[in-house]
Amino acid sequence: MKHFFLATILAGAMSLPAYAADYTIIAPANPGGGWDQTARSLQTVMQQEGISGNVQVQNVPGAGGTIGLAQFASQQKGNANALIVGGYVMVGAILTNKSPVTLKDVTPIARLTGEYEAVVVPASSDIKTMADLVEALKKDPGAVSWAGGSAGGTDHIAVGLIAKAAGVDPTKINYIAYSGGGEALAAILGSQVTAGVSGYGEFEAQVKAGTLRLLAVSGPERIAGVEAPTLKESGLDVVVENWRMVAAAPGLSDEQKAAVSADIEKLAKSAGWQEVLKTKGWQDSYLAGDAFNAQLDKDVAATEGVLKDIGLVK
Amino acid sequence: MTKGHHPSTATRRPDRAALFIAAVLAAIAGLIFWDVSRLAGAAGYSQVGPTTVPYAIACCLLGLAIWTAFEAFRGDFPERERQEVGPVIWIVAGLAAQMLLLNVAGFSIATGILFALTARGFGKRKLWFSLPLGIVLCFVVWVIFAKLLQLSLPAGPLERLFF
Amino acid sequence: MATFDFLLQGLLVAAQPMNLLYALIGVTLGTAVGVLPGIGPALTVALLLPVTYRLDPGGSLIMFAGIYYGGMYGGSTTSILLNTPGESSSIVTALEGNKMARAGRGGPALATAAIGSFVAGLIATLGLAFIAPYIVKLALVFGPREYFALMVLAFVTVSSAFGDSTLRGLTSLFVGLGLAVIGIDQLTGQARLSFGVPELLDGIEVTTLAVAMFAIGETLFIAAQGDKGPDKVEAVRGSIWMSANDWARSWKAWLRGTFIGFPIGAMPAGGAEIGTFLSYATEKRLTKHPEEFGNGAIEGVAGPEAANNASAAGTLVPLLTLGLPTTATAAIMLAGFQQYGLQPGPLLFATNPQLVWGLIASLLIANFMLLVLNLPLIGLWVKLLTIPKPWLYAGILLFATLGTIGANPSVYELGMLLAFGLLGYAMRVFGYPIAPVVVGLILGPLAEQQLRRALAISQGDYSVLITSPIAAVLLLIAAAALIVPLILRARGRGEVLSQLAASED
Repeated sequence: MKHFFLATILAGAMSLPAYAADYTIIAPANPGGGWDQTARSLQTVMQQEGISGNVQVQNVPGAGGTIGLAQFASQQKGNANALIVGGYVMVGAILTNKSPVTLKDVTPIARLTGEYEAVVVPASSDIKTMADLVEALKKDPGAVSWAGGSAGGTDHIAVGLIAKAAGVDPTKINYIAYSGGGEALAAILGSQVTAGVSGYGEFEAQVKAGTLRLLAVSGPERIAGVEAPTLKESGLDVVVENWRMVAAAPGLSDEQKAAVSADIEKLAKSAGWQEVLKTKGWQDSYLAGDAFNAQLDKDVAATEGVLKDIGLVK
Repeated sequence: MTKGHHPSTATRRPDRAALFIAAVLAAIAGLIFWDVSRLAGAAGYSQVGPTTVPYAIACCLLGLAIWTAFEAFRGDFPERERQEVGPVIWIVAGLAAQMLLLNVAGFSIATGILFALTARGFGKRKLWFSLPLGIVLCFVVWVIFAKLLQLSLPAGPLERLFF
Repeated sequence: MATFDFLLQGLLVAAQPMNLLYALIGVTLGTAVGVLPGIGPALTVALLLPVTYRLDPGGSLIMFAGIYYGGMYGGSTTSILLNTPGESSSIVTALEGNKMARAGRGGPALATAAIGSFVAGLIATLGLAFIAPYIVKLALVFGPREYFALMVLAFVTVSSAFGDSTLRGLTSLFVGLGLAVIGIDQLTGQARLSFGVPELLDGIEVTTLAVAMFAIGETLFIAAQGDKGPDKVEAVRGSIWMSANDWARSWKAWLRGTFIGFPIGAMPAGGAEIGTFLSYATEKRLTKHPEEFGNGAIEGVAGPEAANNASAAGTLVPLLTLGLPTTATAAIMLAGFQQYGLQPGPLLFATNPQLVWGLIASLLIANFMLLVLNLPLIGLWVKLLTIPKPWLYAGILLFATLGTIGANPSVYELGMLLAFGLLGYAMRVFGYPIAPVVVGLILGPLAEQQLRRALAISQGDYSVLITSPIAAVLLLIAAAALIVPLILRARGRGEVLSQLAASED
C-alpha cells in the first residue's frame, strides 16, 4: 500500500508541467519559525501560480539568520535561481553577532510581509494604559520586567526605544529574554512579568479573549479593528515594524535582477499569496526597488543606534 | 554502557590513559576560564550573570580532573578491552570522505562511499561490490527524500544525470 | 452532554473506512520516516505535512494526526534495537531497551513501548479533551523559579543514569554542561565559548550530539571489537511477546509515566525529555528488581516511553488552549492547523468545536492505528538485528548522516557529527556513560536561564527561589532524593550504594 501511495505522489509530481526557473529558497532558520513558514508559503504559492515549477526550500539555521546569509552570499554568487528569506531580526543579529556578511552583500528584492509590535499586560494587572506603564518605568525601571523574544531582537529593540522615548536610561531596562514568542506569552499570562512585547499576532487571540490587555501597538497608525492606540498617540515617538523580505544572490546582472523582481512582484500580487497572508494573519507590506533599499538603509542605521543605547553593540 | 567493572586488580602503576583524561578535563576547565574572563560580567538585575555558570562548571571540571588523576594513580579505572584500530580508521575515513565530497560529488556518491567504507570496517573487503551497492542504495534514498519528500539533499553529477 | 456528543460525532467521522485508511497511511509514513536516526518528529511532520494537503480537510487532519503519532513513536524502535536514539526524548528508552534487545528480549521491549505509547496516548488525549483548561491554568503558575526547581529535581534524577561509577557519571554530565555553555547567551546576547566561529553561535544541536554519540559512537565501538565482539545478537530468546510477568511489571510503569509526562508536556517550558528522565528515575526507585536496572529492566522502557507519548499529547494543551507552540514540532503543527482553518487560542473550543473534536477524535484513531500497525511489525523489526553487521551498520550511518544533512546540509555539521562520534567512542572505551552528556546539554541551559530570569525579575533577591510553594515542594523532593540514599547507606543497606561510597574516598 505504501508503494501504491508513493507511486501516486510520484505520478502527481511528474505530471506537473515544466517552468523556466527552478528556485531554491534558503530559510535561514529551523523548520517551524517565521522565516521557514514564509519560505514554505513562497514555495507553495510559486508552484500554484505557475511562477516556478520546482521550488526547493533549504533550512540553514543559526545565529539570527546570519549563518544562512553568509553561506548564501558566498555559495550562490551570480545564481539567479537562488533566494533567501530574511527580515528585521537579521538586521539586529548582523550587528550583535558582528557578522562579516551584511545585507549589503546580497541583492534585496522586496519586503513582503510586516507585523507591528504590541505592548500587553495581564488582564489582572493594575496597569491600565500606556501612561501607567511609562509612569511605573520612570519610577523604578528595574521593577518593570518585560518579557519578549531573544536579546537584541525586535522586541528588545522596541522596549529600548520605548524607554528612550520616555526619557528612561535604556541600559536600565529589565528585559527578560525568552526563546520564542510562546514562552514569553506563557510568562505574561502567568503574571510572572510586568509587561510583554511581541508581534501583535502572538497576542491577538489572548487579547480578543480578554486574558491580556493591549496597551499600544507600534505602527504609525492603529491596526484596523483594534481599539488600542499607537505608541505615538501615547506620547512615545516610536514606530517599529518587524518585516520579512526576500533577497537574491549577489553579483546578478541587471536583467537577472529584473527577472527575479518580476517573479516576486507577480507572486506578491497573486490571489494565492493574498490568501496565504489572510490565513497566516500576515500584513501585506510589499515594497520593492529603490524605495525598499532606502527604507532598509534607514532601518539599519536606526537599529544600530538603539542597540548601542541598550548596550548590546559597542 | 560499560563492559563489566573490573576493580583494581594487579597493577599499581598509574593509568596513563586516565591521567591523560584528567589533563584533558583540566584543559577544558582552563579554556572555559580563559574564554569567559573576557566577557562583560554585566548581569543586569540578576547577580547570576552570563559568566557565573560557566565559572561554576569550570571549577567542577577542575575538581573532576583532580579526582580522575587520583583514581588513575590508584589504578581504579576499569580495565579496557583491546581495541582494533583498523576498523575505526576505515569508518572515520568514510565519514571524512562523505563530509568532503558531499557538496562536490552529491549525496549518493559521497554517502555511497561512507556505506562501502563502513562495510569494509566490518570486514566486507570487496569494495568493487559494496561501493556500487552503496551508491545505488543512496541514490534510491535520495530520490525518496529529495524528490518525493522535498528534503534538501545536495545533488551531484549522478543525481543531475537523472533529474 | 455537548462535549461528549461532539467527540462521538468526531469519532464516527474518523472511523469511516476511507479515513481509517488515511490514518493507517499516516502512521505508516510517520513511522517509516521517524524511525530513521536523526530525523525527529519535528522534521518528520515538516516533511510529510505537504502530503496531507492533497486530501479533503477531514482526511488530511486524520492523516496528519497519524504522521504525528507515527513520528513520535518511530524513534523508540531504533533506540531499543540499535542503541541509536534519533531524538532527545528516546535517549532514556535506549538505556534499558537496548540491553533487553541484546539479551534477545527486543520483542517484549518493543511491545511494552508500543502498548505503553498507546495507553499513554489514549489517557493523555482524553485528558486533553476534558481537563485541558485546568491543566493549562496549572501550567501557567509555573514561572522561572518553579522551572528552576523542576530542573534541580531533574538534575538529581540524572544520577540514576550514571552507571557504576559516580566519578565517570559526573564527568559525563559536566562535559555535557560545558558543551551547553557554547553559543550566544540567551539573556544578554553575548557569545560564549564560540571562539569567533559563527557556526558555534547557536550552540551544539542536541540532535546532532545525540546521533553522533549514540549512532556513530556505537558503530565505531562495535567495529573496534573486531571478531571478538558478540558474533551476532540473538534476535529472539524466549517469547517475542510479553509474558505475564512483563505485563505485571509494565502496566504500573505505563500509568506512572503517563501521569508524569502529560503535565510536564503541558508546561510551556517543560520539554518531552524531562518527563522521560523523571519517569526513569521513578521506576528505578520503585522497582522490585533493582538489580535489573542497567541490564534491561522492562519498567525502564515502559515508563519513559509512556511519559514521552503522554507529553506529546500534553504539548497540545497549551497549543490548542493558548495557541502556544512550545516545541519545534508544535510550531509546525500550528502551521498545519492553520491550513485546516483551525486557529488555536483561548476561544478555539468555544468557536470551533467541530474541528477541535474532529482533531481529538483523529488523534484517538491515529493512536489506535499505531498499535494496529506496530504490534504485527515487531517480529519484522526484531529481524533488523539479523541483518549481517557490515550492512546493518553501514545502513545506520547512511540514515544517521541523512538526518543531519537533511536538517542542515553543512559540511560543518557533519564535522561535528564525526568529532562527537569519536568522543562517544572514546567514552565507551573508558566506561563513561553517554546519556548524561546529552542530558547535561539539554538541562544546563534551561536551568541557567530560568535561574537568571527568576533573579532578574526579583531584582536579585534569592529568597524568591523558595518562597513559592510549588518551587519549595519540588526542591524538597529533590533534596529528599539526594539525602535518602545517603541515610540508607549509613544504615548499611544497598550494596551498590556502599560500593559507590567505597570508590569515592
